[in-house]
Amino acid sequence: MQAPLPERVTGVQLMQGIGVRPAVGFWTDAWRTIVKRHPAVIAMCWIGIVAFFAVFSPLIANGHPIWLKSVGGAGRSYSPLWENLSSVDLVLLVWGLVTVPFVVLGPTIGRGRRVWMMIGALVVAIAVLAISGVFQGRLNSAAQDQGRAAASAAVRGLEPAANASKPFARRDGAGYIVGFGVAAVVFAGMMLVPLGKVRRRVIVVGLAACIGALAVGQRWDRPLEIYNYVQREVSGEIEATYTLVPWSPLQRDSALDRRPPLTKYGPATGVAVDSAPYERRYILGTDAFGQDVLSQLLQSCRLAISIGLVSTGVALVIGVLLGALMGYFGGWVDLLLYRVVEIFMAVPVLFLLIVAVAVLPEELRNTYVIMGIIGMFTWTGMARFTRAEFMKLRNQDFVQAAQATGLPLRSILFRHMLPNGIAPVLVDTSFAIAAAISVEATLSFLGLGPVDSASWGRLLSAAISSEGEFKWWLAVFPGLAIFLTVLSYNLIGEAMRDAIDPKLKKARV
Amino acid sequence: MLMYISRRLLLMIPTLVGITLLVFMMIAASPGGIGAGLMVSGGQQMQSSSAVAVQRAKLEDRYGLNEPMLVQYFRWLKRVSPIRFGDRDQVSPAGDLVTRPRPIPEPSVWKWVAERLAEPEPELASRTRAEFVAMDADAKIEAFKKLQRSYVEARAGFTTDEAVLADAVKRYVESIGRTDLIDSNFKPRLKRIERLTPDTSAKEYAEVEKHAKAAVRSRVLAQEARARLIGAMDAGPYEEAGFGISGLVHIAWPDLGVAFSSNQPVLTLITRHLPTTILLNLIAFPIIYLIAIPSGMLAAARKGSIWDVGMGSLFIGLYSVPVVLAGVLALGFLATPDYLNAFPTAGLHDKGAADWTYLPRNGGKGYLVDLIWHIILPVACAVYGGFAILSKQTRAAMLENYSADYVRTAKAKGVSSKDVMFVHVLRNSLLPLITMFVTVFPAMLAGSVVIERIFSVQGMGWLMIEAINLRDREMILANTTIVACVNLLALLLADILYACADPRITYK
Repeated sequence: MQAPLPERVTGVQLMQGIGVRPAVGFWTDAWRTIVKRHPAVIAMCWIGIVAFFAVFSPLIANGHPIWLKSVGGAGRSYSPLWENLSSVDLVLLVWGLVTVPFVVLGPTIGRGRRVWMMIGALVVAIAVLAISGVFQGRLNSAAQDQGRAAASAAVRGLEPAANASKPFARRDGAGYIVGFGVAAVVFAGMMLVPLGKVRRRVIVVGLAACIGALAVGQRWDRPLEIYNYVQREVSGEIEATYTLVPWSPLQRDSALDRRPPLTKYGPATGVAVDSAPYERRYILGTDAFGQDVLSQLLQSCRLAISIGLVSTGVALVIGVLLGALMGYFGGWVDLLLYRVVEIFMAVPVLFLLIVAVAVLPEELRNTYVIMGIIGMFTWTGMARFTRAEFMKLRNQDFVQAAQATGLPLRSILFRHMLPNGIAPVLVDTSFAIAAAISVEATLSFLGLGPVDSASWGRLLSAAISSEGEFKWWLAVFPGLAIFLTVLSYNLIGEAMRDAIDPKLKKARV
Repeated sequence: MLMYISRRLLLMIPTLVGITLLVFMMIAASPGGIGAGLMVSGGQQMQSSSAVAVQRAKLEDRYGLNEPMLVQYFRWLKRVSPIRFGDRDQVSPAGDLVTRPRPIPEPSVWKWVAERLAEPEPELASRTRAEFVAMDADAKIEAFKKLQRSYVEARAGFTTDEAVLADAVKRYVESIGRTDLIDSNFKPRLKRIERLTPDTSAKEYAEVEKHAKAAVRSRVLAQEARARLIGAMDAGPYEEAGFGISGLVHIAWPDLGVAFSSNQPVLTLITRHLPTTILLNLIAFPIIYLIAIPSGMLAAARKGSIWDVGMGSLFIGLYSVPVVLAGVLALGFLATPDYLNAFPTAGLHDKGAADWTYLPRNGGKGYLVDLIWHIILPVACAVYGGFAILSKQTRAAMLENYSADYVRTAKAKGVSSKDVMFVHVLRNSLLPLITMFVTVFPAMLAGSVVIERIFSVQGMGWLMIEAINLRDREMILANTTIVACVNLLALLLADILYACADPRITYK
């Protein structure tokens, strides 16, 4: 914390020590410049809100009540939400809760420490899940699970799902205690061992292993079903308490399609509503299949954040790699690779994306594949920036010194040249994330988006029906979400450009 | 300059080849493969109707659909290139291209039933040719058309027999227990099966023998029809296409093929739908520049004021709205009957607009006014995205130029500030905008896909989506080539304009 600066500092005052600011690094200075601009700060707040919903949306907008009590004591009381959370949601939940104290404690712990603590917390969360899942899988037998599945299905009034014979881990306490204990030991070990570089590598390896365990742990997730809790509730069979939104994005009701906001559940389905103890409303209306708009909005935040980050990450890796090779070698390598760049620049990205996604078989149209495809077609801008920077840096002294010392190529490129040439690419990253989100919305609108996730673009496509009717809630709310997210990334990109790119300092407002 | 242009044009060719190869491979990797656009649902063995078989035989002959992927790609490339080698194709008066019939493949397991594959007599072609030369022009054309039909039918017959034979072979292979010879698509691996010695005592073998003999027979018939057709073609019933030396090298129009799904030449479809997209983009371009440049100038002149900040924010806000959203909101709130209903919902013309007069007369709307009324919303959606980049670029360039030496000199000389702004600074600031052309143009081509879908305007973007939905590979490839060509030419044009506008730039 420094003393407040006078309005204008003269040279004499500087020599006397007034208005002298301690020197900070380039990136710290850039960060402070960005944070001074109000639009960028508001934009980051909005992205923070979207990220919050991305992490916690399965808790907030889930079709399962957090507590279910059957009227008249016919069945047991339990928490369907807890039992049906998928592995990924559970991990994100634990991680979010564990990270909150660190974020709150923030300023008292150094920034480097905080980042590693967040990563450590993620590792803890995944380790908890993985260990408890394996533990439970061994303890439970398939027959026991069948019995439990049948019992809970009776309360729900549905048949068990088709593949209920697959053994899945029930979320009981014992496994979690064991898992948490082991993970706490591992975490403490990671944090307390004072070996700088080794600790970093241990954490990274541990992270990778745990994400692998997460992928395996998803086999124990319950398959998704369509539930009828609200129907049972309205007819008085059960009493249910929901977290916030009583609908899940999958919950269809063809009798209630395209209803305006604040529609009450009931009248169209023929159930007598006036006598119900609670009334459940679709707060933002329903879409063409009768699915709640608000829960789809919240669940799509996860898709938006991950599409932005992953596809831009893929594009960054490909673009920087190719650009570095082109810029460093020049000559025929440059000639050849630049033809490849031109190939991808000559056809509009949307065309190539539409062709690529349309020729994918149905079962491959999930989120990860589409993220990869978007990344594979949008790397050209970054390649060109990197190429220009590397061509400028190639003749600098430090590069020639590195070559003379006989350093390996990857060291020269990525440890010496890249940190100096990455500034324009970083500025472009924020715009690239905005473009990726926009492109994903367009693809979903055209029906070519990921099929296993709710999406803002898909809601938009139902807004104008084939008869020409316009349902405003299907266009305004998803549209607002898309607009605010893309705008936020654009504003952050503008702020970064003004802070980082020296050529534009003259044009700054 | 000419050297530069020709070098750039030559460099366009490998880029185009790369793009079309990329798209071709993507289509080939799709579940239906290359032939997925055909009317026969992907790869069924038995043709239910003979008309479908005839259609398939015609397409197979024209495009060689049973060949490996890379070979098919090079055939397509050969067809599309204006410079051809070898014999010239002939063009019927109706405009259809008549190509040499393709060789007929050998039937699958003919070695099991015959010593030597029967071929037609070698003089059949020259005999037919002699007959044809003797006929007069009209009779020649009639007889040629009959020969074409009989060839296609004979080839279709052979294909059907082949399919039946493949089925019988599959059953035979299953009956002798060699299920490893059936691949994952439930088709028999014929190349491997041929090398086996047949088990004549197996109960399915009699069927295989019967169908193999039938296939060999129908192949002979097809070969005969082909030989006759070749002989007739050599007698030249139609005019030859292009100019050049037949047999060596000649120049002809690129043959973009026939759309599999609608059976129309691709060129016809494109010429029908291209003017719409060109109209949309041609109207949009000047509007973008006319609004962005003055606003950039204003922002530079009043830097820091409410104009500058407000306009910058407005344009960034507009830039952040994806075209889908703008289109849906515009259509919904302005065009549907429940809301403002100020604009039409679909298409570019009202029904029956073709009969109206061009200008408004007698209270009627007139074709022109109707067109403008329909096109306002699509153009508005195409236009708003380009403002942000261009106006920001203009503003930055003007601010940079405003602090240059020559401006100081001009002001010292006594030039009025208006003249300084408009005559000196503006001209130098416009240069980067020419290179901005490069980013704006492809974005508009891409954006028009969505706009045409939302507003039901049937232009190139709509055509592309239809082609992709129907997996019509000729259509997709032709569209991609044209879009890529247009894009690359626009880039070249931008570079040339830049060289013309800025005398400091020379291309060696």
